[in-house]
Amino acid sequence: MSELAGNRAQKAARLTLGLLLLGLALAVIAMLSLATGARAIPLENVWTALVAFDPNATEHRIIWDLRMPRTVVGLMVGAALGLAGAVLQGATRNPLADPSILGIHAGAALAVVLGVAVLGMTQLSTYAWMAFAGAGAAMLVVYSVASLGREGATPVKLALAGAAITAVLHSIINAILLTSPRTLDEIRFWQVGSLSGRSMDIALQVAPFLAVGMILALGTARLLDGLSMGDDVARALGQRIGLSRGMAGLAAVILAGASTAAAGPIAFVGLTVPHVARAITGPGYRWILPYSMLLAPILLLGADVLGRVIAPPGEVQVGIVTAFLGAPFFIALVRRRKLAAL
Amino acid sequence: MLRSTMVAFALFAGATLPAAAQWSFVGGDGEVVTLDETPVRIIVSQDAAAGLIPLGIRPVGIYADSAVADAKALQGLDLSGIEIIGQAWGEVDIEKAAALDPDLIVAEFWPLETTWSGGADVVTALSPLAPITGPEQGASILTLIEDYEELAQSLGADLSAPAIAADKASFETALTDFKAAVAAKPDLTALAVWAGTDALYVAATQGSSELMDFASWGLDLIDPEVADDRGYWETLSWENADKYQPDLILVDNRSATTMETALAQPTWTLMKAAEAGQVTDWPAFWLRNYAAYASELEKLTAAINAADANLAP
Repeated sequence: MSELAGNRAQKAARLTLGLLLLGLALAVIAMLSLATGARAIPLENVWTALVAFDPNATEHRIIWDLRMPRTVVGLMVGAALGLAGAVLQGATRNPLADPSILGIHAGAALAVVLGVAVLGMTQLSTYAWMAFAGAGAAMLVVYSVASLGREGATPVKLALAGAAITAVLHSIINAILLTSPRTLDEIRFWQVGSLSGRSMDIALQVAPFLAVGMILALGTARLLDGLSMGDDVARALGQRIGLSRGMAGLAAVILAGASTAAAGPIAFVGLTVPHVARAITGPGYRWILPYSMLLAPILLLGADVLGRVIAPPGEVQVGIVTAFLGAPFFIALVRRRKLAAL
Repeated sequence: MLRSTMVAFALFAGATLPAAAQWSFVGGDGEVVTLDETPVRIIVSQDAAAGLIPLGIRPVGIYADSAVADAKALQGLDLSGIEIIGQAWGEVDIEKAAALDPDLIVAEFWPLETTWSGGADVVTALSPLAPITGPEQGASILTLIEDYEELAQSLGADLSAPAIAADKASFETALTDFKAAVAAKPDLTALAVWAGTDALYVAATQGSSELMDFASWGLDLIDPEVADDRGYWETLSWENADKYQPDLILVDNRSATTMETALAQPTWTLMKAAEAGQVTDWPAFWLRNYAAYASELEKLTAAINAADANLAP
């Protein structure tokens, strides 16, 4: 018995150390993100800009006005996507669950398309809110459709309802885009997912939502562990599974909606990162959630930094790089070992 | 009275010179289009509409490059009774076009692309209906307008009409004022740009007829170092927005959102001219008549007069 407790303590110490290392890696990536861009700024000037900002120095303004918001948005969006993916996978017990499979991205995209096509919105800051509302509405519809019938919102029904609603939403989006070239022109950059051109205002606007979503998501760890044993066992353990799923779903919508509002629908991060986290930590959402929360921004910011340097003088959008990097890595992971079942 | 004399003249001309009934025009592609009679039912591209309608030619149909409300070239023109048969670049409603039963299609010939306005798809769609002709995109908006005058005249327009003469006179006045303003500030430099959320695009003077006009009238336009593969733009990351320091910035005004986008970029004001508000409109690629040219030149002249010419070193 004490040996078991010792093992657990050892594992906890190991995983805590891992978290610290990830935090360090994230800090390094964030610094790299501040130091990398189209304009070559020497490292010592980057540092001076951070510690002694001079509003008249061009390089300092570039760091604070362009790279800082981009980095902050990248950190926030990355953490949110990682958490949202992990929570959704846990709550639906579906290894393929991510914000796009439950209709969240499609809902956000349709709302933005409508904002541009019908309301004539042209600036990022205005249609960010459309994305947020659209994400929430889509998730609500998906959840309601899945809840119909006697068993309520089971994982399989959620996935099916999500896929069906996503298909419907995408057909409406395509119908609008194909008949309105102006709208297509306006949103094609948004649609891929990007961190560039984001101002600090956007970061500040979505920050409260992300904070609430993160607290809520981290708070669901125990509930997700219960759900992962199956609905019957969870119910036998005294868990109210409808409520658990509802809370997890709410957290995921807030996180995914706010991150989509800030950076567009970035695919793949929410899907892959929780699997990587699970491969490191083993089952147990108490660890999977914080690991996902740190791993995802490392992937996202790393991809963004890479996208800034691989095709000068232009940039490759982060949504493209994450998919390009993420896919082979994910395949390798799946091939290497049997993934921990959900 | 005037009308009956014209009819009498036409009858007289028709009686004595039967060959004059034939109509022909040398297009910008070098091909001669010859028709048995002067064409009456004409379909025009958006730019040709902007060139011909102010000269008194009423086309039966227009194909635009964008929604008509967004088409800068068509603003202020009387489009009543004219069918719109296209509202996106490269697209035309072939059924509507055929129903209009055109005698002639007028577009502009783009020498770099060796095709007409709207691109190859539009040409393929429209050329079975009627021959295509029109002026060539060139080194000056003025020669383009003169080509339209020649074409309009051959189609029966009366260029001595008071409204047309007044347009031309107001343009001449605007041009004189522009040249005077430029001459008064020999140190003033200008930069023509298009602003996107991804980057700042700096225009090459050689890529646009009106910029070549401005330069020929004395405006010192900064030419970007590296133009893209088609020779129109240099792409600058917003981090490098201060690569050029003009005294006056001209922002592409085809769409009002371009200016909004520019103003929303934190590093837009790395350019001293932007910081000082020395920013005005660049009527990019859409000027086709004297009236529009005059009002855009007046705006530009006012901006030059108000600008501090010694902002940039």
